[in-house]
Amino acid sequence: MKKRKPGATAALYIFVFVVCIVTLYPYFVTFVTAAKDTSEMYAANMTVFPKVWEWSNFVDLWSKAPVLRYLTNSVIIAGGATALAILCGVPAAYAMARMRFKGKTFFLGAVIVSQMFAPVVLLVGIYKLMVDMHLTNNLMGLILLDAAFNQAFAIWLLRGTFLSISPEMEQAAKIDGCGTVRAMTRVLLPMAAPGIVTTLIFVFINAWNEYTIALTLISNDVLKPITVGINTFYGYNFIQWQYLFAASLFATVPVIILFLCIEKHLVSGLTSGGVKG
Amino acid sequence: MKKHSTLKHAEPYIWMLPSMVLMCVMIVIPIVTVFRLSMSKISKAGVVKGFNGFENFKTILESPTFIHILVNTLIWTIAVVGLSTLLGFILAMVLNQPFKGRKFVRAVVVFPWATSLIIQALVWKYMLNADYGALNVLLVKLGIAHSYINWFATWQSTFAWECWVGIFVTVPFVTFCVLSGLQSIDSSFYEAAEIDGAGFWKKLTRITLPLVRPSLTVSTVLNIIYVFNSFPIIWTISKGAPADKTHTLVTYLYQLAFSNGKSGEAAAVSVIGFLILCVFAGIYMVMTLKAEGSES
Repeated sequence: MKKRKPGATAALYIFVFVVCIVTLYPYFVTFVTAAKDTSEMYAANMTVFPKVWEWSNFVDLWSKAPVLRYLTNSVIIAGGATALAILCGVPAAYAMARMRFKGKTFFLGAVIVSQMFAPVVLLVGIYKLMVDMHLTNNLMGLILLDAAFNQAFAIWLLRGTFLSISPEMEQAAKIDGCGTVRAMTRVLLPMAAPGIVTTLIFVFINAWNEYTIALTLISNDVLKPITVGINTFYGYNFIQWQYLFAASLFATVPVIILFLCIEKHLVSGLTSGGVKG
Repeated sequence: MKKHSTLKHAEPYIWMLPSMVLMCVMIVIPIVTVFRLSMSKISKAGVVKGFNGFENFKTILESPTFIHILVNTLIWTIAVVGLSTLLGFILAMVLNQPFKGRKFVRAVVVFPWATSLIIQALVWKYMLNADYGALNVLLVKLGIAHSYINWFATWQSTFAWECWVGIFVTVPFVTFCVLSGLQSIDSSFYEAAEIDGAGFWKKLTRITLPLVRPSLTVSTVLNIIYVFNSFPIIWTISKGAPADKTHTLVTYLYQLAFSNGKSGEAAAVSVIGFLILCVFAGIYMVMTLKAEGSES
């Protein structure tokens, strides 16, 4: 790359600086508010930083509400949905990447279209279905729904990964007497590992951050995932912002770390796997 | 032998079976249910009292509230997707330049993408609070404002802030989509253009834009769908208040179904939303399969 003019470099740094400040500001607020005492929360003379850093908030919050239960529920829901989405998605993506069959274009089209319908538009129908199946206030219901609504994305990313790997190795394995299943599990899947891990993490994060379906289907406090559970601190008369934000940090930090791990793969998967196939 | 070949024919479908069953039960059945409920009379307790034709649609379409909400949904979708795309594109162009600390900035930009929408909505609701919000505190401390400002004084200002939060959470996705497109551009294009004396705008419009168009298309179409369907931000910040003025389609249908007990009307709103999405979906599918076709 050629050298920039000094003016352009300065402008670049100023722009980037502003972007960072604006982006990080809400996280900064979350953090300092989580460390404030209740008495400071609504005080007339508010300060940016806490007058006294109440680190005990981060300990106390676990006993103020079943936060550990919420986080465990989130792990179960997101973990279950991820496992189910991958178990169903891998064979489907494999068929769509490696096999020729009637109606393939139709199935591909159906997968793309299903991506369009966020659960919220269908919520009335989903609620009715879950009531009929006795799956309200049931983690299994959320697992099934999260897996289904992530299916399109999982198939799309996995298919893109499979297509980018040459089928020759599998064909060689088949000549050596491997069946299709063995050729896939022994040859293709290890090579597709980065793409599979990306898909795993992405589905996990989506299910972890899901709010709307859980809000609708779960009213039993001990079954709430963290996204719904933190609203316990958001009372009608009294909002415990410090605990709300401390719990939010516990729900957010691991996910950001996971996301940073896959960011590179995910984006290339999105655009290349997504458009070019 | 014949049996074997039937099995061979069925094989791809067997591979797809688990996935298709999952999607049919969890997605197709609710779609059918929504259509059925939209044409049913439903009691407050949720009991279906029989077919009533287009009565629910009539009720919805005749209310001035709904027209206002449709316009809101349009503004919300266009403003959030449009401005996020513009900002995300600029940010991606900057992040594609080599500079010190680029890795750090890229990591920072990921944050809003990875954080749950409900948490971000709650944080912004706190920051914008008129009495103790962090933004007012900051502005007064910095001497920019003399007294606390009521950011949610009118429905317009509330809605504008909701759009801002929408933009805030949407920009990272655009940035990374465009960035992946930019990184695949061969730098020799730019070198050749510079030899020919092309300036910044010429390079932007003749090289960069045409080559990142596929990435930009994916991000725009997906964002239209995500933003149109976005529920937590508006539901958390205003719940449609004051007087249903800040609703979009999805928050309105949620309120109808789960706060007001009007499942039939909510289903009718769902069907209208569904049909709007079908138009987007059709466009997206044609574009995607076309791109696929030209590839092979």
